[in-house]
Amino acid sequence: MIETQSGTGHGSRWRILAVGRNPKRTLARAAILAVVSVVVFKFVLLPVRVEGASMAPTYSDHSVNFVNRLSYLWHPPRRGDVVGIRLTPPSANGWSAPHIMYLKRIIGLPGEAISFVNGRVQVNGQTLDEPYEKGPCDWRMAPVTLGPNEYFFVGDNRTMSKEEHVFGKAERARIVGKALL
Amino acid sequence: MKWPRMLLLAVIGALLAWAWMALHPSPERLIRKQLDGVARAASFGPSQGYLAKLSGAESLAGFFSTNVEINIDLPGHQEHRLAGREEIQQATLAARAAVRGVTVAFPDINILVNADRESALADMTLQAKVAGEPDMIVQEIKATLRHLNGQWLIVKVETVRTLQ
Repeated sequence: MIETQSGTGHGSRWRILAVGRNPKRTLARAAILAVVSVVVFKFVLLPVRVEGASMAPTYSDHSVNFVNRLSYLWHPPRRGDVVGIRLTPPSANGWSAPHIMYLKRIIGLPGEAISFVNGRVQVNGQTLDEPYEKGPCDWRMAPVTLGPNEYFFVGDNRTMSKEEHVFGKAERARIVGKALL
Repeated sequence: MKWPRMLLLAVIGALLAWAWMALHPSPERLIRKQLDGVARAASFGPSQGYLAKLSGAESLAGFFSTNVEINIDLPGHQEHRLAGREEIQQATLAARAAVRGVTVAFPDINILVNADRESALADMTLQAKVAGEPDMIVQEIKATLRHLNGQWLIVKVETVRTLQ
């Protein structure tokens, strides 16, 4: 008799742990959590997996990050920000999130002239201080002047050859958002 | 009107709308289907024999017009130009002989159908994984399609430098 009572109590404790004291309320909470998660991770904080070494050592190959699409609602992108850049231009009719994007650092802002002299970035002829740059670099590039709506992007791994590294300018509309981590 | 009858009418309405869309697909939907077909035909595994490779190359060439132009300019690689279905078929066979397998996908596609509804422009991201290679190939490409003989065929493909 005592054993039976104990068994029933044990079962109800498990049931409370699984579905709560009020299953209807638990179900509603779970549904709201699911909807919020879908909206957040599909439209706002896009989960990304880094592929390749162009952002090393800041981000290693296969590391996971998030791109925050709301980061530039109140201010324009800033120099030094690591951002997601869409490969396919944005569609005219929607706010669809791309599945594939480049992850690069902004080094040039609209209207500036960007060049590489002996591996160092120059902005309007002045050497840019880049504390995140650790390895040796011998890149050279003649000045590129950015348009009123253009930014210059490059990865942090400048030890790789310039020909193998995807970098350059693109329009503001290509920026998906800022890397969160 | 009672709830069950309203629900039944809503279900019938939804079914009719679905049937209408299935029977009269928009050009955009047809083009997406066609591009999915290109990705499937371009992908192959390591266990394919010669006949399967030949059939795969033929099936891939079938998605292009007879006078198609393809310009591939990838950073750090030599520029390639292909013209016509036969060159595509030969290049596909050569590629299939050179690598063990490729998985191709177009995850992001934007389609702009022109006002004449006979031609369209598709901006898309090519994602390709070559068997045995550690890195994935991602490349922005632009394709021009034309409605020819009841089919949307690719008449021009060119790579786009996302960062210039």
